[in-house]
Amino acid sequence: MIGNDVVDIIQSRKEGNWQREGFIQKIFTHKEKLLITQATEPEIMVWLLWSMKEAAYKIYNRQTKIREYIPKKLQCTLLSQNHDYTLGQVLCLENIYYTKTILNKDEIYTIAVSNLHDFDQVVEIEKKDITKDKHGIPYLKSDIFQDVSVSNHGRFEKVVTLNY
Amino acid sequence: MIKKELIAKLKVIIKPYTTNNEAYDNLTEDTDFINDLNINSANLVDIVLDIEETFDVVIDNTDMERMLDVKTSVEIIESKLAAK
Repeated sequence: MIGNDVVDIIQSRKEGNWQREGFIQKIFTHKEKLLITQATEPEIMVWLLWSMKEAAYKIYNRQTKIREYIPKKLQCTLLSQNHDYTLGQVLCLENIYYTKTILNKDEIYTIAVSNLHDFDQVVEIEKKDITKDKHGIPYLKSDIFQDVSVSNHGRFEKVVTLNY
Repeated sequence: MIKKELIAKLKVIIKPYTTNNEAYDNLTEDTDFINDLNINSANLVDIVLDIEETFDVVIDNTDMERMLDVKTSVEIIESKLAAK
């Protein structure tokens, strides 16, 4: 399964203030808070972790059909970082999701998968022929109903599916 | 605090985070923050923090998990106020 999430840093600054009292406390675990305070750019780390949580939540939501606001229950670990991307893992109750995040100027973009091998099958597509089920979960209407994940923020829009 | 008054206060709180003005103007108890008002999910935390400040209550994570619509938020605020 697949989930994605894009953050437009410029837009995030217009929409709120991550430094306001209580904000970090309500969203991040103790371990994540350490990553933020130790980061050279705490703001980037905040939105990197946030987009990991959001992308992973989209899979959790598709799997369980449960809709809830659980940022703190989506626990992030960073596995490796290089110039091109950050690999991570998000635990949510008994579920494990894998994430790949690309930082590009003011854009932070995460793709989450439930199976590591699925990273090779991810394809970006146009936003069309998308329908939602009664739980609000999006699907691509083709011959078969295919999982699709859509994310919009500020100047960016990303639509992805898995191509088997 | 009567419910109507409570919803009015909540409406003031959510206004700056709303991008769908039509849904905002027609807000009812069934209005969903994300699906109807187009509120960014990161701003749900701001709404929870604003509720805590405005009503002088503490919203824990278990309550926050369900705060996705007007109805549930009103229920949670009412129960917090009653427990004071």
